[in-house]
Amino acid sequence: MSQLSDIPVTVTVLQAGADAAPHGRALLMELENQLRDLVEQGRESSIDLRSLPLSPGDLAFLEQHLGKGEVTAEVSALGPSTVQETAIHGVWWVRHYNSNDEVMAEFLEVTQCPDIIRAHPADVRDSLEDLRARLVELE
Amino acid sequence: MSKRPTVAEHLARQGVSRRAFLKFCAATASMMALPPGMAPAIAEALGQRRRPAVIWLSFQECTGCTESLTRSHSPTIESLIFDVISLDYHHTLQAAAGDAAEHHRERVQEEFAGEYLLIVDGSIPIADGGVYSTIAGMTNLQMLEESAKGAAAIVAVGSCAAFGGIPKANPNPTGAVSVADIIKDKPIINVSGCPPIPVVITGVLAHYLTFGTIPELDKLGRPTAFYGETIHDRCYRRPFYDQGKFAKSFDDAGARNGWCLYELGCKGPTTYNACATTKWNEGTSWPVESGHGCLGCSEPDFWDAGSFYKAVSMPISDLGKLGLAAAAAGAVAGVAVGLHNRHVKAGAKAAHKPLTADELEGDKS
Repeated sequence: MSQLSDIPVTVTVLQAGADAAPHGRALLMELENQLRDLVEQGRESSIDLRSLPLSPGDLAFLEQHLGKGEVTAEVSALGPSTVQETAIHGVWWVRHYNSNDEVMAEFLEVTQCPDIIRAHPADVRDSLEDLRARLVELE
Repeated sequence: MSKRPTVAEHLARQGVSRRAFLKFCAATASMMALPPGMAPAIAEALGQRRRPAVIWLSFQECTGCTESLTRSHSPTIESLIFDVISLDYHHTLQAAAGDAAEHHRERVQEEFAGEYLLIVDGSIPIADGGVYSTIAGMTNLQMLEESAKGAAAIVAVGSCAAFGGIPKANPNPTGAVSVADIIKDKPIINVSGCPPIPVVITGVLAHYLTFGTIPELDKLGRPTAFYGETIHDRCYRRPFYDQGKFAKSFDDAGARNGWCLYELGCKGPTTYNACATTKWNEGTSWPVESGHGCLGCSEPDFWDAGSFYKAVSMPISDLGKLGLAAAAAGAVAGVAVGLHNRHVKAGAKAAHKPLTADELEGDKS
């Protein structure tokens, strides 16, 4: 049986130009609007990257122009999630993976701190009970 | 009233933290094409719902729809959805068979009358008394009518259940019809596609679970969240269409540069589905990204709509003259179609709206 490498097909990746990232600039404009709302009114918002018809070039364009910021976090909940602050403070690139390391959802969140990072009050309450129980066990 | 636990209770029992649940809801919102800000509202609503009973009937079908769902790329989400629902009968997946399985179906239909969700894949053959497909001695028609009676809603999964699909294609020897052709008194959600995109199937289930209602539907009974726009309008190659850059054959410079496949027969302009954003095979790509036009599999009678390699507005009568080889290669079709379609495309561009099937088939007669 022939292998994939035997088939004379060359994969050409388009260089990042206007054609390769037709939506990149529009997304940056949208982020500018959302970041302005966060600064002026404290309103948080986000962009669901999986809901948009983006080409691979668009994503590369965004990664290139947003850059990498100071914070990188990994959350383990139903598979890993990665939270990366971009070089634009307040704009976070959040990727949710499933247990097979495939991307389930991908957002650009415009916020001081993404929700997935915070501990949920109900979980904190439960943990308070848990910690007290552990102290009792030590006695 | 059902004594089944709420979704939140059920997940908490399995050790799913609220942070994990929030992540699940964020992914669900994305899946349902809802604004990302909806995740907390979904968590609130979904947490309080009780697990609904689900009966899945497979009729005249190829099992591709079940394959699509069970081979889908987000096992965490899908398995959670299936943890959240109680799939009480699915004769392809269940271990039980024979009388016991059929009695269980009857028991669920009785116990959860008016509450359970009925999922159907496959068309229903009604010619010659429905003899062409039977399960446990019942025709598909009898089983559908019996199970539909107590259903809260019906989800017709796949183009066969939604529109008759390939079994209904000419000459339709079994008299295949869709669910909606038979059941007239229940809400029916058509999740078309051959097969449908897995997350569209689970997205519809998630919507029903979250809100307890059926989502907003288009005139063909499909959820507008997934079928609201054409493949063409959501296609990343759309800018090339707008610039008039078309691939003329499958191996020319245009094809290699990723230009629009309209002239090679792409059915994107008349096909409503979410492939362009949701993609296939673990989000790897989708037909147009792989260099082939859309076949239009989520539209009624797509199998009989003429050649897959004929541009949408080209009259079917002209195709015969070209011969299959030429049409497939696109060498002749590309030129002819380009001239023929120019005024249609220009008109649509000026009016700034997608072409409809009627407009495109306008000079067919």
